[in-house]
Amino acid sequence: MSAPAVTVERLTRRFGAFTAVDEVSFEVARGEVFGFLGPNGAGKTTTIKMLTGLLQPSSGRGTVAGFDLAREVESVKRSIGYMSQLFSLYGDLTVEENIAFFAGLYGVPRARRAGRRDWVLEMAGLKDHRSRLTQELSLGWKQRLALGTAMIHEPPVLFLDEPTSGVDPISRRDFWDLIGGLAARGTTVFVSTHYMEEAEYCHRLALMSRGRIIALDRPAGLRAAMPAPLIEIQTDDSPRVVEALEGAEGVIEVGLFGRAVHVIVRDAERARAELPRVLAAAGLAVRGLQVVEPSLEDVFVALVHLSNQGAAT
Amino acid sequence: MRLPERFDRLVEMVHKELIQVFRDPRLARIVLVAPVLQLLVFGYVVTTDVRRIPTFVVDQDRTRASRDLVQTLAASGYFRIVGRSDRPRDLVEALDHGRAVAGVDVPRGFARDAARQAATVQLVFDGTNSNTATVGSGYAERIVMAYALRQGSPGRSLPVDLRARAWFNPNLRSSDYNVPAVMGQLLLILSLLLTSLAVVREREAGTLEQLMVSPLTAGELIIGKTVPFALLGVFEMVLITSVALFWFRVPFQGSFLLLLPAGLLFILCMLGAGLLISTVSNTQQEAMLTSFLVIMPVMLLSGFMFPVSSMPVAFQWLTLLNPLRHFLEIVRAIFLKGAGLEALWPQYLALLVMGAGLLSFATTRFHKTVS
Amino acid sequence: MRALDPTRLLAMARKEVLQLRRDPRSLILAFLLPVALLVFFGYAISWDVSDIRLVVVDQDRGAKARELLDGFRASGRFAIVGRLERTADIGPLLDRGQARIVLVIPPRFDADLGAGRTAVVQAIVDGSDANTATIALGYAQAIVQQFSARALFQTRRVRLPVTAATRIWYNEELSSRNMIVPGLVAVIMMIIAGLLTSLTIAREWERGTMEQLASTPVSRLEVLLGKLLPYLAIGLVDVALCSLLGVVIFRVPFRGDVFFLMGASFAFLVGTLGLGLVISALARTQLLATQIGMIATFLPGFLLSGFMFPIDNMPLVLRAITYLVPARYFLVVTRGIFLKGVGPEVLWSEGLLMVLYAFAGLGLAAHSFRKELG
Repeated sequence: MSAPAVTVERLTRRFGAFTAVDEVSFEVARGEVFGFLGPNGAGKTTTIKMLTGLLQPSSGRGTVAGFDLAREVESVKRSIGYMSQLFSLYGDLTVEENIAFFAGLYGVPRARRAGRRDWVLEMAGLKDHRSRLTQELSLGWKQRLALGTAMIHEPPVLFLDEPTSGVDPISRRDFWDLIGGLAARGTTVFVSTHYMEEAEYCHRLALMSRGRIIALDRPAGLRAAMPAPLIEIQTDDSPRVVEALEGAEGVIEVGLFGRAVHVIVRDAERARAELPRVLAAAGLAVRGLQVVEPSLEDVFVALVHLSNQGAAT
Repeated sequence: MRLPERFDRLVEMVHKELIQVFRDPRLARIVLVAPVLQLLVFGYVVTTDVRRIPTFVVDQDRTRASRDLVQTLAASGYFRIVGRSDRPRDLVEALDHGRAVAGVDVPRGFARDAARQAATVQLVFDGTNSNTATVGSGYAERIVMAYALRQGSPGRSLPVDLRARAWFNPNLRSSDYNVPAVMGQLLLILSLLLTSLAVVREREAGTLEQLMVSPLTAGELIIGKTVPFALLGVFEMVLITSVALFWFRVPFQGSFLLLLPAGLLFILCMLGAGLLISTVSNTQQEAMLTSFLVIMPVMLLSGFMFPVSSMPVAFQWLTLLNPLRHFLEIVRAIFLKGAGLEALWPQYLALLVMGAGLLSFATTRFHKTVS
Repeated sequence: MRALDPTRLLAMARKEVLQLRRDPRSLILAFLLPVALLVFFGYAISWDVSDIRLVVVDQDRGAKARELLDGFRASGRFAIVGRLERTADIGPLLDRGQARIVLVIPPRFDADLGAGRTAVVQAIVDGSDANTATIALGYAQAIVQQFSARALFQTRRVRLPVTAATRIWYNEELSSRNMIVPGLVAVIMMIIAGLLTSLTIAREWERGTMEQLASTPVSRLEVLLGKLLPYLAIGLVDVALCSLLGVVIFRVPFRGDVFFLMGASFAFLVGTLGLGLVISALARTQLLATQIGMIATFLPGFLLSGFMFPIDNMPLVLRAITYLVPARYFLVVTRGIFLKGVGPEVLWSEGLLMVLYAFAGLGLAAHSFRKELG
């Protein structure tokens, strides 16, 4: 049983009076694809920046690739690859020049540089664009290049901060295929995202809200842990149904789900009886109403809502 | 419906621009502090006066007579003794090192020779600064001659006495000439640099696109971008005039009402130039570098520090195309001569023509790059 | 774990060079501007006022008066452009700017000279350009002085115990180019440091690439030196270029030691570039960096270093400040090398100061630069 790739113990970061990351603890195993989900402002990026040595924690400890964050941060940096949320490679350098630059920075041995460069170009699909200025590439290609340069020195741990934001769905799928391939070959990938469907690609997920981890499990486990039943309503007038059910008795959360409406309720039986009455009283027609299996998004919404309520009371 | 709506949008743009400039407290301080700083430095530094020339004295005679002579030179105020010795090589070293710019070498036997009407004193000048050397040696020779006359023929004085008087600026204070000119230089930098940056900053951040999608027209955008800096420019004009008047006590013979339009016309020229620069720059860095590359020759070939009349004729003609030159002429004439429109109308006309030309050319280019 | 790994340093320097090569405006600033400045200053701009327009009111019209006027003509500084009959016409003439200086020779000029009385000649100068007015008056005084000396020698009834013999050293032709070219080298260094380097770190912050650098093992020193090395090379090339052009085209003398010049330039450049990097590190936006850069390096280098304006003329406060301006000391070195033919044996203290300045600049830059975010 090998040592975990990342360990975090009560990691905290404050900015003045505001606590961005609040006593977060978890472990990531080697070769795992570990997903970090949460709404904007939840603290995902701050956590990643602490783990990559960009920010100093206010308190708590952590290790990455076996090196202590507080005392051995330079060794940490040599063992990780990082892709930031906003594109941060050099636009006025060509694809090749960017790769060569980071190869130099990470101390890739000269003998291996050509090989690694070709590997990155192949992996990112940029062989035909190697001499183009990076700023001329579209976003999808830029992200692939950023991933490639993060990998140039074959680090054991990768940190990717919202790597697919702004990228089209097909490219996103390709990107996750890449990540999966890397993990299969032993790289630990720590990814943050706010696209729920991407969460399914991870081995384990941590849900973060307001600086705290409110759930941590495999995707299947999380779905099974849905704290409250979920009812789906098919109707032609979804927005007004949402309006009508908001704040109604026994309703925890209601929202649009495609064309339908998803309602998270306290009690399934009671809801099946109550909700049609409320809707009829509002003069809204309903084509179908049933309890359904929650998706990860539903789980997440419920958990966040409940944790906020818990925090408030 | 159209006019008030347009006006509203314009006011909004100007407002936003001013907020952006002043939100960064450091930037705001620079816009306010830099002018005063530059004024003080230019006002006190730029001068062609020759005084307090650091002088090294070698007195190989060390008699009453030699000390008298040296004392006379020192007392004149033109020469400041920075070292004494009785060895000539100390003088060489002082001048070689730059510790002294002038040297006096009184040879051994000076007093004895003076009694026989045959004494010479050696004066040495570092020719690096030709003005100092020429004028300084003239002063020194005159002082020595006056001293010699007092010793040898008391009652005689110098054959010719040149009495100088200055028409305008009776005290010939360099600050009177330079301080008002700083106004031109500061307006140049403010209008040109900041305007070009303001537009390019939006292009870089991508917000320019956002603006173009709104009902805002290109013309309104331009006005919105340039008006704040015109306002800032007027503010700086008032600031500089006040400092000039109350700190430097530069005389102000003319009318501020005449100065203001000249300033506005000059700002107009510079805004046009700044806008033009912004159309050929994609990043702030490019805008800054281009602005600097323009500012340098404009400043140097304007008569700001270096007189136009000393330039080769070809360059003198070239300066006619320089708005700063005309503006400086107006400013100095208004401050020092109290000149009016009847004397200065050619300069006003030149500014008007150049300003209109630059601004319209820049606007057409801007339209092209945006649409 | 080394703080200065040559591979990483080389990677940083190469990247800077690649970026510079693709940036035409920086290149123009770095190479063309120095040459342009040299041309401006060497050819177009100077304090050498010549052909000063002089108008004469000769109320004597004697031989001595003509001799005095001949002296003015022969000086090469003045051009006699007209004569007036009445002093009342002087005012309007100056108002219209038709002459810069008016010389009034009194009616009994010849007679007074012959009788050994002092003759008072008036010079009325257009004071609106105080700079050239002062110079014009200075020249006029010198010319009058020479005339006086000749007049005295021709008179037998005068006893002159002492005469002065004047020699001009270093710049015998009194050409202002010889003053300017050595100083221009310093000013150009200031421009490169003040503008180009002050932009470079701020730019990485603004574009977000600094964050990426922060996540790599590259050390602060490596980032700084990697940025500094290309500009250092540019600066040294500029020194060589300007010196060469100055000597070849403008015939500025070069009497000293080339190696000392390059050595002192090297140290001065490192210090000034370090200063530029400090500014860039502290001002996180490019806009601010340029403004501060201009005020902190370019302006003092131009005005307070003794380049154009003698330090001794400045008020006490400013004189004190000039001690803090590194260009001041560098100027002593360059003038010493070009014009005076002296070397380290005389200028060792300035040389030492340059080296100290280099260390201080680098040290400050390393201290104030943090690539981490917080």
